[in-house]
Amino acid sequence: MEKDLVEYIAKSLVDDPAGVVVNVIEGEKSTILELKVSPDDIGKVIGKQGRIAKAVRTILSASATKSGKRVVLEILD
Amino acid sequence: MTQEFEGRNEQEAVNKAVEVLQLDRDEFDVEILDSGKWGLFRKGNVKIRVHVHGDRVTPEPKIHQAEQSDTSGFEQKVIDYLETILEKMGYLGEVQVVYRREQKIGVNIISDHSAIIIGKKGKNLDALQLLVNVYAGMLEGSKRVVVDAENYRIRHEEQLIRLAYKTAEQVKKSRKSKLLEPMNPFERRLIHSALNDILDIETKSEGDGLYKQVRISFRGAGNRGKNPRS
Repeated sequence: MEKDLVEYIAKSLVDDPAGVVVNVIEGEKSTILELKVSPDDIGKVIGKQGRIAKAVRTILSASATKSGKRVVLEILD
Repeated sequence: MTQEFEGRNEQEAVNKAVEVLQLDRDEFDVEILDSGKWGLFRKGNVKIRVHVHGDRVTPEPKIHQAEQSDTSGFEQKVIDYLETILEKMGYLGEVQVVYRREQKIGVNIISDHSAIIIGKKGKNLDALQLLVNVYAGMLEGSKRVVVDAENYRIRHEEQLIRLAYKTAEQVKKSRKSKLLEPMNPFERRLIHSALNDILDIETKSEGDGLYKQVRISFRGAGNRGKNPRS
């Protein structure tokens, strides 16, 4: 499931895996995943010019094509 | 044992053979089948046939080498990481190390879902590669990781070089410059170096950021014949 995927990737990137929380908001056509990490780790999941965040979103949408549902990743700060 | 390989030049074909066969250069003989020199400036691929001394079976030394060079468990961690991500994406796949260099390793994803794993223009493969490299960068004995599936990267390279030659020919004919689509630094370098020694053609990158565009332009006008480059 997409939640697991984001959780796994986020935990692999941060210094404080315990600080990773993913909330799922199910909509009719799309699912919103809200990713929360420890304040010091935000840069690690976003990356320079958002490169890491972009890669995670790309992987998410590749994963979501199976179900045909749109998945949106929001990184909260 | 003999096997055939292809590359943009002889060196590249030989390197490919070394990589695939997991042999040292002095362990096989090379016979050139097609030198790839046809046309004025257009270079085709060089085709070689490799004759391996003795009939050594390859898988055995490969495994041996794997044990030797992966002392820190770096490769296994990278493999596990990629396989877990693929599994959580819902596309089961097997990841294998296909080559090892001093600074980098190449891994290949074998899966029934290659098309999705590669993505449009290799988008998904690039995203996976980026994440794996961020992760790998934090490990001990870290190396760069090149992620491939179905030889996409090699095919894509060849395709880019063909595009470069084709566009250069068009530019020579029309004498109007052409702008290629945005590419990453690695792809741009391929284009620049492919067209580097073609007379009358100049390449320049335009734009900002990671994805710049290469402009191929004609520069022979006016001084052709008068000022041959020496």
